[in-house]
Amino acid sequence: MEQRVYLDHAATTPLDERVLAAMLPHLEGRRGNPSSLHASGAAAREAIEEARESVAALIGASAGEVFFTSGGTEADNLALLGLAGAVEDSGKRHIVVSQIEHAAVRETARHLESSGWEVFWLAVDADGLVDLDELAVALRPDTAFAAVMWANNEVGTVQPMQELAETCAERGVPLHADAVQAAGRAPIDVERISVATLALSGHKLYGPQGAGALYVRGGVSLDSVVFGGGQEKGLRSGTENVAGIVGLGAAARRAREKLDERVRRETGLRDRIIAGATALPGVSLNGHPERRLSNSVHLTVEGVEAESLVLFLDALGYEVGSGSACASAGHKASPVLLAMGQGEHEAFSAVRISVGKDNTVQEIDSFLEAFSTATTQLRELSPLTKI
Amino acid sequence: MPETYSPEVIEHLVRPRNVGDLPEPNGLGESGDAACGDIARFSIRIEDDALRDARYKVYGCAACIAAGSALSELVNGKTLLEAARVSKEDIKDALGGPLPVGKEHALTLVLDALHKAFEDYWNREAGALLVEGYGGNGAGRGKTVVAAMSGGVDSAVTALLLKEAGYEVAAVTFRLHDGEKGSRSCCSPDTVLFARDTAHRMGLPHFTLNLKDLFQKRVMRDFVGSYERGRTPNPCVACNAHVKFHAAAFLADGLGFRHVATGHYARVAESPEGPALARPKDATKDQTYVLWPIPKELLARTVFPLGDYEKTEVRRIAEDRGLAVAYTPESQDICFIPDGNYRKFVRKQVAAEPGEVVDGSGNVLGRHAGVVDFTVGQRRGIGVSANTPLYVTEVRPRSKQVVVGRRKELEVLEVGVRDINWFLSPEEARSVQVRYNGSPVECEVEELEDGELVARLAEPVMGVAPGQSAVFYSGDGERVVAGGVVARSGS
Repeated sequence: MEQRVYLDHAATTPLDERVLAAMLPHLEGRRGNPSSLHASGAAAREAIEEARESVAALIGASAGEVFFTSGGTEADNLALLGLAGAVEDSGKRHIVVSQIEHAAVRETARHLESSGWEVFWLAVDADGLVDLDELAVALRPDTAFAAVMWANNEVGTVQPMQELAETCAERGVPLHADAVQAAGRAPIDVERISVATLALSGHKLYGPQGAGALYVRGGVSLDSVVFGGGQEKGLRSGTENVAGIVGLGAAARRAREKLDERVRRETGLRDRIIAGATALPGVSLNGHPERRLSNSVHLTVEGVEAESLVLFLDALGYEVGSGSACASAGHKASPVLLAMGQGEHEAFSAVRISVGKDNTVQEIDSFLEAFSTATTQLRELSPLTKI
Repeated sequence: MPETYSPEVIEHLVRPRNVGDLPEPNGLGESGDAACGDIARFSIRIEDDALRDARYKVYGCAACIAAGSALSELVNGKTLLEAARVSKEDIKDALGGPLPVGKEHALTLVLDALHKAFEDYWNREAGALLVEGYGGNGAGRGKTVVAAMSGGVDSAVTALLLKEAGYEVAAVTFRLHDGEKGSRSCCSPDTVLFARDTAHRMGLPHFTLNLKDLFQKRVMRDFVGSYERGRTPNPCVACNAHVKFHAAAFLADGLGFRHVATGHYARVAESPEGPALARPKDATKDQTYVLWPIPKELLARTVFPLGDYEKTEVRRIAEDRGLAVAYTPESQDICFIPDGNYRKFVRKQVAAEPGEVVDGSGNVLGRHAGVVDFTVGQRRGIGVSANTPLYVTEVRPRSKQVVVGRRKELEVLEVGVRDINWFLSPEEARSVQVRYNGSPVECEVEELEDGELVARLAEPVMGVAPGQSAVFYSGDGERVVAGGVVARSGS
């Protein structure tokens, strides 16, 4: 295969070799269930607890507040269903959820909606920021919880979490934050920003797929949704994915050490792409221009359909993400872009480019050339736009 | 079906063939729409019955771009007939096999754009002919036939039987009006798309002719106008008189084809005076009553393959050959009024003024909301209570009067017929049928000097409505001697 340039880190990041090295001992000749009393079991248990410390340190939590899951989606599900279940008997049947949540939160909220919960879908502005005043109005005495993602997985907008958390805290409403994109890319300190629960995922910070964690602030009670042997203090039963958890821990430790360096480096590459791409006619940036993830660029390319652009770039050796998926009955426009006030048609023309710690300036420059070529050729093919 | 694209699709995506717009196309077609996310355009140049050049443009997913590119390669340089035969299956093969799940619509989209360019080409060729009406030149040669295909089982089997009988067949579907289900939407099933698929599955070239203006002028306007004039129209008769056969003949002449065919249940009988319309094998499906206005010179080149079959046999043939149309329901009475509510349809087009309901002596019995709501022989909705049931016996649009009377007053013993289309000589006429679901009654005919044909009936017939057809049959009851339009009736 020819040299390929990977620019889809928001989808998943490559596994860091140090992370792999940390995981390998738990895969090769693996034995010992963390629940067992013997030495092998104790070693596995110890590795998990060490990982818990590392994850807690990344977000400013204490180890006892971190619960391992199979990934970000499960952590989001556990938070929403767990928070809902814990207060259901008290008569609270109302929740507030932003309109730009990842499917893991959005679909869980819809599930609650279909089981009789009232959901207030919090709007966002054209940049993807939620309105603090609207949140304040939406919260009610019977609101069980609110959910706003830390940073959006499509357009990259980072929310004013401090203010959101304060507003919720004033009203006594727990706030869940999906920090799957933010963890390892934006400083997170739950001591300062008082979210009740927070989800993160290993494979977005150079760790393994299939390992994630839910932070649960001390004193916040959650019902469990997976029943069994009572692992993770009864909140998440099932024998632990030891290698995955160790990988997540190693990745979190590395992310904490390298956070500033990575952010600085990624921001440089990100801004290089934004400058180069938006210099082309009919290419515009989606999401907030400043309050955005260090690694994420989301573009609307007028007159070009996203899937064809992504596959064209793929054929040239550049891997990026498409903004919306083309489904059988026509297209399915991204709910995030629609919530930001874009039309369906604009939403079909969106691509996401997300850099990582190992991308180089040379890669970005050659990508920009390929991007220009692909855009020009696809526009020549389009009967719609004259750009 | 695969999850990802074949290398062929990616190759066409990155190096698409025949991209662009022709500077001087003689056919231009577009399918899909921007709101739907995909749009395809073909511009073509047809010269000497061949596709000299075909260029395309696509906005859409990789599948659409690749399918357009592959299709342009498949049809460029081909004869028009070969190009019109290229199917979704052919494009799929050129793209290295099935497209991923959910992407099959790309094949439909680009093929539809190309076929709309063909349609545009024929429209340009026809100019006013397809609006004013076309008589045909009949210059075509050989065992060649243009078969009209509506998307139903009858017309599909018609094309199949002709093909199996050794004809070179080209299928044609007519775009008649916008009322067809789904015809405005790019992603829903459409009768034209369905008919095209059916033709392609049989390996036949398919064309679409846009006859909306002709149909509007000759059928729909006449339909509404008839009610305004207090007459009872038959839109199928109007279509057969001016639209369907003429358009098929136009395409046949354009392709150098000799014959035209439809899925009607009727036969063409030879006689010393030339071809005559004759009853089919399946008496329950007999459509001679609505086919009488076909001009003789067009009937001479018409084939009705289903005239020799029972409907049950036709359905069985479709099943045996695996045609998807085998289970389609029987078509509507009036194709442009799918819900069957023709009063509502007429009312939308004309302003109805209220008037009086009177008896035969002119006594006012009540009021009505508009003459367009009434037709001779009608019993329901008169709105006047009486001891005996009342029927509409006459509609007088000028005075806005609806005349009602007892059933006995509907009996007719004499019918005046105009606009006559002769197949055989007048003395052969022995019986006449004046209603679609009626039976012929014995009659004697007399031609008046002003051209009216008077039929004196041997027994009374109920509710003969002006505007309906009167069709005369021969002594053996099999052949149509002539047909015409009821102008008046008397007792």
